[in-house]
Amino acid sequence: MGESGSLGTLLGLFLEPTEQGIRLHIPPAQTGLDWSVLWPLVEQCLQWTTPWWPPDTAVELLALDRLLDSRHLHDLATLLRGRGLILARVTTDRRQTAVAAATAGYSVEQPPPPQATWSNGRPAGAPPLYIRHTVRSGAEVNHPGTVVVWGDVNPGGRIVAQGDIFIWGHLRGVAHAGCTGDGQRFILALRMDPTQLRIAGHVARPPANPAPDACPEVAYQTAGQIQIVPAWDFVKSHPGGYAE
Amino acid sequence: MGRILVVTSGKGGVGKTTTTANLGMALARLGKTVALMDADFGLRNLDLLLGLENRIVYTALEVLAGECRLEQALVRDKRQPGLALLAAAQNRNKDAINPDQMKLLAEQLAGRFDYVLIDCPAGIESGFRNAIAPAQAAIVVTTPEVAAVRDADRVVGLMEAAGIRNSRLIVNRIRPGLSQVNDMMTVADVREILAIPLLGVVPDDERVIVATNRGEPLVLDKNLSLPGMAFHNIARRLEGEKVEFLDLDAPYNTLLGRLQRALQRKIF
Repeated sequence: MGESGSLGTLLGLFLEPTEQGIRLHIPPAQTGLDWSVLWPLVEQCLQWTTPWWPPDTAVELLALDRLLDSRHLHDLATLLRGRGLILARVTTDRRQTAVAAATAGYSVEQPPPPQATWSNGRPAGAPPLYIRHTVRSGAEVNHPGTVVVWGDVNPGGRIVAQGDIFIWGHLRGVAHAGCTGDGQRFILALRMDPTQLRIAGHVARPPANPAPDACPEVAYQTAGQIQIVPAWDFVKSHPGGYAE
Repeated sequence: MGRILVVTSGKGGVGKTTTTANLGMALARLGKTVALMDADFGLRNLDLLLGLENRIVYTALEVLAGECRLEQALVRDKRQPGLALLAAAQNRNKDAINPDQMKLLAEQLAGRFDYVLIDCPAGIESGFRNAIAPAQAAIVVTTPEVAAVRDADRVVGLMEAAGIRNSRLIVNRIRPGLSQVNDMMTVADVREILAIPLLGVVPDDERVIVATNRGEPLVLDKNLSLPGMAFHNIARRLEGEKVEFLDLDAPYNTLLGRLQRALQRKIF
């Protein structure tokens, strides 16, 4: 899709519901992300996710090849506890991480379950991410699924989603839907006033003189370019989100 | 325990230190005890604005090093006995102190004062991290300019991630004439983006510069100027009073002014 840099890079940091509770995916060390960079993003991810789990849900941490010591695990457990989650299990293929986790009293599993391998790209189809929050300047949300923002996306803020992007507010920042190349994805905003829109590999800037009577609009890709239409028209021409 | 508030903005030069000094004075005038903490290590200014520069003997660093007691480092203001300043060290940089030490100092001050106001340095690096670490709430200062608002938005986001969710907004240096003719952002524009509760609006005024240079905060004036009144109102709002915002547009809301604006809108 001709993308480079951080925008096209999906972090792979998300919560996945499982039969036993919740699995917390964190990007493996091979992505080159240092823990000091990752930690604020983990905090953000948990703060921004509205709890859809019952209190005291058990969490399995998918640490994979990441090297974590007892302090890292302690911080993470404290953060999770604040969100009504209990760190119960650590899945890792690093011996040191396994030892630290076992010492701290978590059950340890190795090797990781097969669906978590990263050899064939990123995990896809994560559950939608709900952000009940203004996405402010400097904040970047990466999600391997659909993102729903219940608030504004301010200039300098950035949403990158593998799926669709719904913004129940004012979009003034950057939104990138279908970032792994899915051109069928769309971006909806109650007020569409973006710095830039991207769908799959296409980039669009808003018109210099936006329409004064703003209505909810949808941006989608057609014939190699990004179109913006009133949401009403889009719903009629694209029932279910697809072209008729 | 007193309330620990950080005064921050992201961008430099929008009036953090002026706000801290005036708000501290105004709160002291309301009979509250106030400790002002300068977190701008290496570029301290708060002492200048308060006119207390020549009375600093010890700074926060000496307190932390155990070379003096906290009381010894506090500079009491003679004009407002409820007000005290804990100065930053001027000969060091932001890394001279860490967030835990800031917390320690601020919490000790909160045990003795009704308010602890922390004057945050510009930027979002270690100085900012230090300044927000002890804060229970934040006062975000911005001017009605796109760049200042963008930076304010960034720091509000950073503070939310750090668990400080009750930020309130001061829009400083408003020039009602300019925003009336659509040449400047209005308070409503700023609020639209930042979406945090408004604590006060302060008009632009030459007397602020004069007061700053003299080291006599505006709120000390016998006949309060408009900005002095604005800071005084902000202090009352912090105390939980309901105070109407100043109507800065009043002088412009004449028939002629409205006519002018109507004409201008047509042209553009």
